[in-house]
Amino acid sequence: MKKIVVEGLKYKYPMTEELALKDISFEVEEGEFIGIIGKNSSGKSTLCQALVGLVPHFYKGAYGGKVLVDGLEVRSHTIADISLKVGMVFQNPFTQVTGSKMTVYEEIAFGLENIGLPREEMRQRIDEVLKLMKIEHVKDHSPFDLSGGQMQRMAIASIIAMKPDILVLDEPTSQLDPAGSEEVFHSIQDLSRQGITVVMAEQKIEKIAQYCSRVLLLYDGKLVDFDTPEKIFSRDDLKDYGVTAPVYTRVCKALGVKKQRCDVYPVTLEDAELALRGTIK
Amino acid sequence: MTFLKSISLFVDRKSFVHDIDPITKLYYILFAIIIPIILPSFTISAICVGISILLLLAAKVMRKTLPVYSFVFLVLITVVIIQGLFRPGNETVLFHLGPFAMHKEGLLFALTIALRVTNIVSAFMILVLTTKPSTLVESLVRKGMSPRIGYVIVSVFQIIQEMMSTMSTIMDAQRSRGMETEGKLLTRIKAFIPLLGPVVLGSLINTKERAMALEVRGFNSRNLKTYLYEEKTFPYSKAIQAALLVLTIFAVAWRVFL
Repeated sequence: MKKIVVEGLKYKYPMTEELALKDISFEVEEGEFIGIIGKNSSGKSTLCQALVGLVPHFYKGAYGGKVLVDGLEVRSHTIADISLKVGMVFQNPFTQVTGSKMTVYEEIAFGLENIGLPREEMRQRIDEVLKLMKIEHVKDHSPFDLSGGQMQRMAIASIIAMKPDILVLDEPTSQLDPAGSEEVFHSIQDLSRQGITVVMAEQKIEKIAQYCSRVLLLYDGKLVDFDTPEKIFSRDDLKDYGVTAPVYTRVCKALGVKKQRCDVYPVTLEDAELALRGTIK
Repeated sequence: MTFLKSISLFVDRKSFVHDIDPITKLYYILFAIIIPIILPSFTISAICVGISILLLLAAKVMRKTLPVYSFVFLVLITVVIIQGLFRPGNETVLFHLGPFAMHKEGLLFALTIALRVTNIVSAFMILVLTTKPSTLVESLVRKGMSPRIGYVIVSVFQIIQEMMSTMSTIMDAQRSRGMETEGKLLTRIKAFIPLLGPVVLGSLINTKERAMALEVRGFNSRNLKTYLYEEKTFPYSKAIQAALLVLTIFAVAWRVFL
């Protein structure tokens, strides 16, 4: 089943001259884990926000084309309606703290209160996401007293607790250390395996290569390519789009070692090891 | 956290006054304001003040009231002096203050005002000192106040605090680049001006981002809102509210018929 359908999406922010998104079309199946890559200001965040309706409802501006999330046309529904289907985690964890709650536990409850969940279910879901994001030990702390990484986990937990069908994340691990981002990617992969469709804009290219089922490459508001990580990172023109391939791919490219029985370079450590061992023998 | 405490006067103690729900306390404030209007006698006002002070004592928050009372008394002393000296209709001279005479009528009038102000301030302090701001707002939202207004009131407490810490970070950053931020008043004012740009602009950007984050968490959802915590109820709330109502009716009857 198609979870996200984007057809000819064009968007221009108010008071600007140039289009931020230029005629973007793609489709995402249920349960896929999609990575969005591209250099700064290539339209990653704008595309993420177009999936939850912040573009165009929050910013206004000129909008063309169609975005369907789970059959719902974004343009003709309110953000509140869309938020029941699509959850979004932003880049900056500090501004995602509501500021009206005294503890992490209450903070996570904020969204659940708004959508009118019964108290029993609310508690159950909060306990679940606290455990999933490994922030149980800080549940009674004030949200503003957390470290950047804990705050980011809390922001993700607050959205996951709302159980959206589609999860959109805009650089959700920017404040986390390598071990922390690995854990967060793991948890998100678990969700994806449970059938949640995940779309993530991210700079950590090795992680994208390792976890995503398909990668969407943006350049200057245009969709360059949308394919498996192997195919995307095996492109020869990646540099022109301001993106570098994972270090494993670069090594294999330099050595001219392709993945066995296919025409692409390996993108993860495991695959690179396999391919390289194959050539050594 | 320390700053938060200084901005909200709430004192966390265990007492029956703390257990009473905020709505009943609001009724009590209304009662304490209305009764001296219906029955404008000196004794009634004094009784109301007495009850409020007993409640503040029972709540073990008397120490926190002292700064508030001292500020109020500072204002009231000027009222007493001016009314005592210059109120039109002053006749009976009590004593002389230099070239001016203190009069009995003005003094009595000023005392009534002082008593009423003290009465209102005490009643409000019962609410403010024994109720968490967030609890109060949540009760009001449950009673039908717009959640948006409720959010604004509660978030102010935390967001001002966050702004202050941003400000001190920026100040440290500027100091580390060699800016004078201490010393004479003029130096301090000069140091303050370049702070405003980053703090104000930063807050505006933060506000935009926070608004987006609230939107995607269903803040404008039309679903009926639910609450994480059960409403705080006090077993005798209804009885207290009824008693306050009966006393008010009794006061009106007293005023009309006697």
